[in-house]
Amino acid sequence: MTARLDTFTYDDDIVRKFLVATFVWGFIGMLVGLIIAIQLGVPSLNLAPYLTFGRLRPLHTNAVIFAFAGNAFFLGAYYSTQRLLKARMFSDALSRFHFWGWQAIIVAAAITLPMGFTQAKEYAELEWPIDLAIAVVWVAFAINFFGTIARRRERHLYVAIWFYIASIITVAILHIFNNLSIPAGLFKSYSIYAGVQDAFMQWWYGHNAVAFFLTTPFLGLMYYFMPKAADRPVFSYKLSILHFWTLVFLYIWAGPHHLHYTALPDWASTFGMVFSVMLWMPSWGGMVNGLLTLRGAWHKVTNDPILKFFVVGVTAYGMSTFEGPMLSIKSVNALAHYTDWIIAHVHTGALGWNGFITFGMIYWLLPRVFQTKAVYSTKAMELHFWIATFGILLYVTAIYSAGITQGLMWRAFDETGRLAFPDFVETTLRLMPMYWVRVVGGTMYLVGMGLFGWNIFKTWQMRPARYEEPQIQAAPLSPVYEGHETPQPAGAFARFVSAGWHRRWERLPVTFTVMTTVAVVVASLFEILPTFLVKSNIPTIASVQPYTPLELAGRDIYIREGCFNCHSQMIRPFRHETERYGDYSKPGESVYDHPFLWGSRRIGPDLARQGGKYPDLWHVRHMNDPKEIVQQSIMPAYPHLLTAALDFDGIQRRVDAMAMLGVPYGDAVKNGQAPGMARAQAREIAARVLAAGGPDGLEDKEIMAVVAYLQRLGTDLRRDVAATGGN
Amino acid sequence: MRTDVMSGAGLAIYAEIALVLFAAAFLAIVVWIWLPRNATMWERASRLPLDDSHPQAPRDRVVEH
Repeated sequence: MTARLDTFTYDDDIVRKFLVATFVWGFIGMLVGLIIAIQLGVPSLNLAPYLTFGRLRPLHTNAVIFAFAGNAFFLGAYYSTQRLLKARMFSDALSRFHFWGWQAIIVAAAITLPMGFTQAKEYAELEWPIDLAIAVVWVAFAINFFGTIARRRERHLYVAIWFYIASIITVAILHIFNNLSIPAGLFKSYSIYAGVQDAFMQWWYGHNAVAFFLTTPFLGLMYYFMPKAADRPVFSYKLSILHFWTLVFLYIWAGPHHLHYTALPDWASTFGMVFSVMLWMPSWGGMVNGLLTLRGAWHKVTNDPILKFFVVGVTAYGMSTFEGPMLSIKSVNALAHYTDWIIAHVHTGALGWNGFITFGMIYWLLPRVFQTKAVYSTKAMELHFWIATFGILLYVTAIYSAGITQGLMWRAFDETGRLAFPDFVETTLRLMPMYWVRVVGGTMYLVGMGLFGWNIFKTWQMRPARYEEPQIQAAPLSPVYEGHETPQPAGAFARFVSAGWHRRWERLPVTFTVMTTVAVVVASLFEILPTFLVKSNIPTIASVQPYTPLELAGRDIYIREGCFNCHSQMIRPFRHETERYGDYSKPGESVYDHPFLWGSRRIGPDLARQGGKYPDLWHVRHMNDPKEIVQQSIMPAYPHLLTAALDFDGIQRRVDAMAMLGVPYGDAVKNGQAPGMARAQAREIAARVLAAGGPDGLEDKEIMAVVAYLQRLGTDLRRDVAATGGN
Repeated sequence: MRTDVMSGAGLAIYAEIALVLFAAAFLAIVVWIWLPRNATMWERASRLPLDDSHPQAPRDRVVEH
């Protein structure tokens, strides 16, 4: 009796490619992060128009999430999948297409985001042509991955593969549905959703992007690479399976916790909170499982910096997944929302969990994929570990303090019952020392990245002249499953309990994938559909009208400049908010907001009731140079808005796209009238600015549109319905 | 219009049914994970990452006589 064996090799070239890309984009993404951190302390470093905080911040988040963490996931997945399945990747050509396609998308993002092409949805900023490219590349990855599963030579799909499957499927669903939009030009589109619904879709996406792009892929990596590095199996495989299914069942429901106390219906945010709190259990189960994998090997951690990275990485997973559910509790969220607390939370996760798992994994892989005896310098690894660990600690302690400080200042009243800090800028300036500590912490982390890159380079230099390709031998799977431990019991119930059904799922990756998809999709539908379909969730307000063509153009400039990165447009129903900003925001107010611009952070004040608060000239001078109005302002200056000509002729296309989405622009606006209406409104504003002693000749400049938009914000509630003919 | 129809369609009960089904499916998975008979399967599976080159279960494979 002799087994027929297949002989094959693993494709490690693709792993090397993704490895180098991970470092390069990681370094650039974190460098941009450092630059925008410094811009908060030194506003003059905002080099308008291309290099302002508002345009660079999405570049930082996208680079770190999709370029650094994305490439890290791909490199780990390509290495581990082939070995776990005993098969070379399905198609080398698809692997290369995936690699080069993904890098091209990153380059496109790095060019278009500073140019101001953005959809204004966090972590989904890229415009529609790039979104289409992402979908194509992702599908290529999926075909390659599932093709490999189909050709595997190992029956059981190890739990890491389950995590990869869930990630690939869910990210595809999230990406497609959140990015549905109507183009209004090559680099401009409007989300098909508006207001509350758009917010709901966005944070269903945003939360699950964290879940299925930064958590489940890295859990897959953890469950493969930690046992490898510790040279012992995971503490409890059963717990890892429970971890998987619990995350799949729970994560997808938790998104609404990003919208507590906003105009989102209360039931939805309570729902999100409950599911978030339940996530405590699987997350900590997973963390404990990771740490206990080192049982009996803790002495190795003392000497092995790779294990140190894993230990701190998994601990950071535990810390941030403790904090996430805590932040989702409404009363905690009331303090933390819109503050730096969230930024600190994100960085515990990104720097600690994603960063350190990536570093541990890559250091472990370096001698294996570059075929050297060891990593070039263990001392440099050790130094990288310590400098990065202290960097994270400095970063997060400073920014936690900043968040809590500002949150408390916003809600403080003095003994006469008035706001203790009515001047918003005072609450921002109080954070400056903490912002500089963050810069120090971030610099330390980046120096660690430099050491990392140097060590990768030096190890790469030690590579052999030609990489060996070890021949692997394994028998192909038989078409029928032969290996039952026990005969199938008789009787339907007994068969069910024996759970042959689940074993069959695993053997049939298609069925398994379908079940995972069902869990995700059904949960999403039951969460999302009521917001779209139940009328009472979004009461309409008769006086709320669509934006005029000029205001719409101004809104697009507001989006282009990334104003929403620092200014929210959502007043929560708290006394300290209504005292400071005005009446709280209603769901019916944003029904024409494609996309919604509620924001998630207030580095500057909320703008939901900005309209009519200051004269037109105030806005012109403020945009030209904020320090002229508020001496201590840290807002970038936008002098180019006063000189750049507004593209009046392009407005019609934008209005038409909005009309296609159901925004009730009358026929007057539809039939090519929009530019004329915009010009007339711009002339009126320019005349008012001139009469107030402002500069002449602004009637065809972009600033007119911005002023029109800002003066409109939040004024609909005050509009007299009878006078405007509203219904 | 669409929202009027959907609001009146009485679909809420399906969400509750789905919740029960999901909870049942989850409980079934938990039971299955801890069934004693599956312990050896998990034991074998947990060692998969540690073996890069050798097939682990010859009995699963095509055997030529």
